[in-house]
Amino acid sequence: MNYIYIKFSSQTQGEKARSVLKKHGVDSRLRRNPNPNHKEGCNFALFVFGDIFRAFDIISENNIQTMGIERFGDGR
Amino acid sequence: MIYLDNAATTFPKPAQVISACVGAMRFYGANPGRGGHKMSVRAGETVFGCREKLAQMFSCKEERTVFTLNCTHSLNLAVKGVLKKGDHAIISSLEHNSVLRPLENMREKGLISYDVAAVEPLDDEKTVKNFERLIRPNTRLILCTHASNVFGTVLPVKKLSALCKKHGLIFALDCAQSAGIFPIDMEKDGIDIVCAPGHKGLFGPMGTGILMFSKNIEIESLVQGGTGSLSLQKSQPGIYPDSLESGTVNLPGIAGLSAGLDFIKSRGGERAIHEKETYLMKILKEDLSVIKNITVFDNMHSKIYSPTLSFVVNGEHSEQTAQKLDDRNIAVRAGYHCSYLAHSFCKTTRSGTVRVSPSVFNTKSDVKFFVFSLNLIANNGKM
Repeated sequence: MNYIYIKFSSQTQGEKARSVLKKHGVDSRLRRNPNPNHKEGCNFALFVFGDIFRAFDIISENNIQTMGIERFGDGR
Repeated sequence: MIYLDNAATTFPKPAQVISACVGAMRFYGANPGRGGHKMSVRAGETVFGCREKLAQMFSCKEERTVFTLNCTHSLNLAVKGVLKKGDHAIISSLEHNSVLRPLENMREKGLISYDVAAVEPLDDEKTVKNFERLIRPNTRLILCTHASNVFGTVLPVKKLSALCKKHGLIFALDCAQSAGIFPIDMEKDGIDIVCAPGHKGLFGPMGTGILMFSKNIEIESLVQGGTGSLSLQKSQPGIYPDSLESGTVNLPGIAGLSAGLDFIKSRGGERAIHEKETYLMKILKEDLSVIKNITVFDNMHSKIYSPTLSFVVNGEHSEQTAQKLDDRNIAVRAGYHCSYLAHSFCKTTRSGTVRVSPSVFNTKSDVKFFVFSLNLIANNGKM
């Protein structure tokens, strides 16, 4: 299984991003990060139903702080 | 019971508020932001939904909209999270103890100093001058009530905000009696910090409070702990709202508060609510003006005032009057209303005052029955 998601340190930032994307007609779901960094601990992953790079641009344009786009999975 | 103690907490709560609280506990009462399962996610969405509504209502960023336990908690954060050793603050002569005591606590420890500016209810210019006169080189904060919890006096917010901008000071507003009653726009009104309860004019349940602050303000956390984020870091995360929301937030309360905000909208917003309450206050003031043997402190009402009025039956302690009203199934608040400053300023420390505060749920007949009952108490029914 492979995942690609936008990573947030704060749930509020993640929810804010989800809300902004919704206003742009982009559906997404905020979940706990399935692959948290062992140095930082818990954070949040926004799974986008659509073009994640366009979604990332929308989020950045709205000055919402992210921890970048992350890929995780077995490569299959 | 006729409930006229809405300045303490609004009652009744709208039916949708009660449903939202019960619904959160019954159907998705998981820990918001902690688990990855559907219930926790839904709880997190509910918390954010309320945060988003508040941010929109007060013109603040969502991440700078923090849930607290109550307005007192918010005010403590605003005072102790902002002021540093050697700072000076200015407050008004009508402050609640939740403003006075955190400052006095810091003063007693030798950390800060503060001064009290006299409020002139019908002379905004003079009030602002009274504040300006007290500014020192080390003044950092002006913190004042938006509306007095004892007398309903409304302070000149825009003029005080302009004064703060002129002198580079932080302007913090205690909106305990105004949130949900007056429109408050942090951006337009130039307010740096807003502290508000969720359970008064916003119609949420008790145990909910809000702290909102603008992007140029940094607030230090007073409580550290679990935030559901960056859990392998030893130190408190530096991100808002997480740094100021350690521990599980009050999900049922926040769900109820969210429904309370919807209720305000459904009633036409703050202006419409204030209009209804002012209508009741005008009847109250007019009817009380012909009752003998009482003193009404409507001279403390500014041109625009919050729906709060204080009075005393001459020669009687306010607690006795309130007890007699309670015997007639009327709920009002007597005594000193947790406001040493307001009662000292108005020289009402001997008997305290009886405070009447209607809400949007009260009716003209509630007010009429109250006045009729008070006349029986004060004059045995004679006019």
